[in-house]
Amino acid sequence: MTARVRMAENGAQVVSRLEGRQSLKDVEPNIFPVDGGPGQGDIVEFYGMEGTGKTETLYHLITRCIMPVQSGGLEVGVIIIDTDHHFDMLRLVSILEGQLARYSKESDGSEAESEEGVCSCLRRLSVVHCCSSAQLLLTLHYLENSISIQPSLDLLIIDSISAFFWVDRHSGGESIACQEANMRKCAEFLDKLRKNYGIVIFATTHAIMRNYNTTSDSGLSDVPGSSSWRWKSADSATDFNKPYLCRAWQRIITHRVLFTKSQVSKDHKQVFSAACTSIMTKGVKKCLFNVMEDGIKFLCDK
Amino acid sequence: MTGRPVEDFVSCNPEELAQKCSLSYKALVAVRRVLLAQYTAFPISGADLYQELLSSTAILSTGSPSLDKLLDSGLYTGEITELTGSPGSGKTQVCFSVAVNISHQLKQSVFYIDTKGGMCVNRLLQMLQTRTSNVEEQASVGGGSVKAVIVDSVPAVLSSMLGGKQNEGMSLLMQVAGELKMIAKDFNIAVLVTNHVTQDGNGCLKAGLGLSWSHVPRTRVLLQRVENPGVSSSSLRTATLTKSSRQPCHLVEDFDLCNWSDERNSVSGKRKLESS
Repeated sequence: MTARVRMAENGAQVVSRLEGRQSLKDVEPNIFPVDGGPGQGDIVEFYGMEGTGKTETLYHLITRCIMPVQSGGLEVGVIIIDTDHHFDMLRLVSILEGQLARYSKESDGSEAESEEGVCSCLRRLSVVHCCSSAQLLLTLHYLENSISIQPSLDLLIIDSISAFFWVDRHSGGESIACQEANMRKCAEFLDKLRKNYGIVIFATTHAIMRNYNTTSDSGLSDVPGSSSWRWKSADSATDFNKPYLCRAWQRIITHRVLFTKSQVSKDHKQVFSAACTSIMTKGVKKCLFNVMEDGIKFLCDK
Repeated sequence: MTGRPVEDFVSCNPEELAQKCSLSYKALVAVRRVLLAQYTAFPISGADLYQELLSSTAILSTGSPSLDKLLDSGLYTGEITELTGSPGSGKTQVCFSVAVNISHQLKQSVFYIDTKGGMCVNRLLQMLQTRTSNVEEQASVGGGSVKAVIVDSVPAVLSSMLGGKQNEGMSLLMQVAGELKMIAKDFNIAVLVTNHVTQDGNGCLKAGLGLSWSHVPRTRVLLQRVENPGVSSSSLRTATLTKSSRQPCHLVEDFDLCNWSDERNSVSGKRKLESS
């Protein structure tokens, strides 16, 4: 069977498969652990309540990805699937402008970063709006073609993957399996995309389920097992950590970043924290950041 | 068989399907392509989207200088802004004032969805009369394309559906949210909704309708009465920004419901929630 599938590949697919995509391992060393960044085919889930900085972090990562190499970016293509109708292009551009201006000032002291520079970055970004889980599934199938012919396309972002949870719950049918059918197919297809094309997938999930049976002794030591509940141990900061999306999705996640709002610092700035766990590395990598006018600013922790 | 033929068909491998059903592989691939073209959302280049937004986004002033300052100059089209507050905190009055300002000052039409019977035409007229004494002008407000949709209030009709086994109510709530977002995005309309407040474990006020809804509005403003000892009912209110992607949260502004467009009320200016 697999041999025949390979035969159906076209030239561009072969090239993109053999050449491999650029690694996103260094996309943000502050968030991801050293040597544990998202490599080819990794799936990262950003998890948190509203207003904990998930989308802001996505803007930051998108900016890092689409900026040209000489400005310190990775210069790769990004597709963002906006299911929440939440994506704020104006905010992204203001972050992008800030970053570009900072790098051009650092390099040659000039401040002449133009509209042109911003537009050339934005051309690496594609935006899709989806309004149902069926449309999400079909769109993913449709995107397979673009992913296969564009080897520079490195990152697929879904903000958020939990958007249709309640709607599917009600309209999906009598059994949980029916209700989850679309999401399960999406997850299976995402799994196929990352295996075949080595694309990195970031997805956000809203924390909307209270975890009633949180154990208080949530130690961070146990090795993540293969069960879908393996992330439970890392999340001591919140009791809204119950994974509620379908098993097929829980199974393919390789990294999970938990966002929480921390205390307000002395200079009245809200501090956010992101805790990253991954199946490759042990322990939790935690970082703190502020949200500033020109994007997020990491606080050095000791 | 499961009643989802399109999703099932697209997820199938056309090659296997051709063998199983002895249909032509070519025909299956063609049908699949048509289905995808028909039902998928198409990607837009970021650069195009940005240009489109630059030409289409409008910021609608609320008419109150202090509220505008809080919202970074007004209500943005394409977004949902939420007003929260306990009863009597002035949510409906703010909605009225915004509706009057957009229709009179900005000459744009407003859709006002009143779900709790709180709409008071006399009050609207009264507000208009303070702005202009010309009767003809009062009668001809609005006129432009619809630029704002105001929903006062969301929980009035939906909160009774929530609770219990929750599925149906939550699903309905999220469908309403989806529709509002789509109206805002597709037609470039500023959506203003009101919501009630509940208290969390620490006695802090937070917006009602639960966690799923909390992700829906882009900007949230909490309205509160200014407790003024001696005065039984005051029209002074404070507005606190509790969610925003443009301004730092917890900005606080004072305003007066009676003198909506009055600059003097914002003299106390910005102050932090913590210091108050």
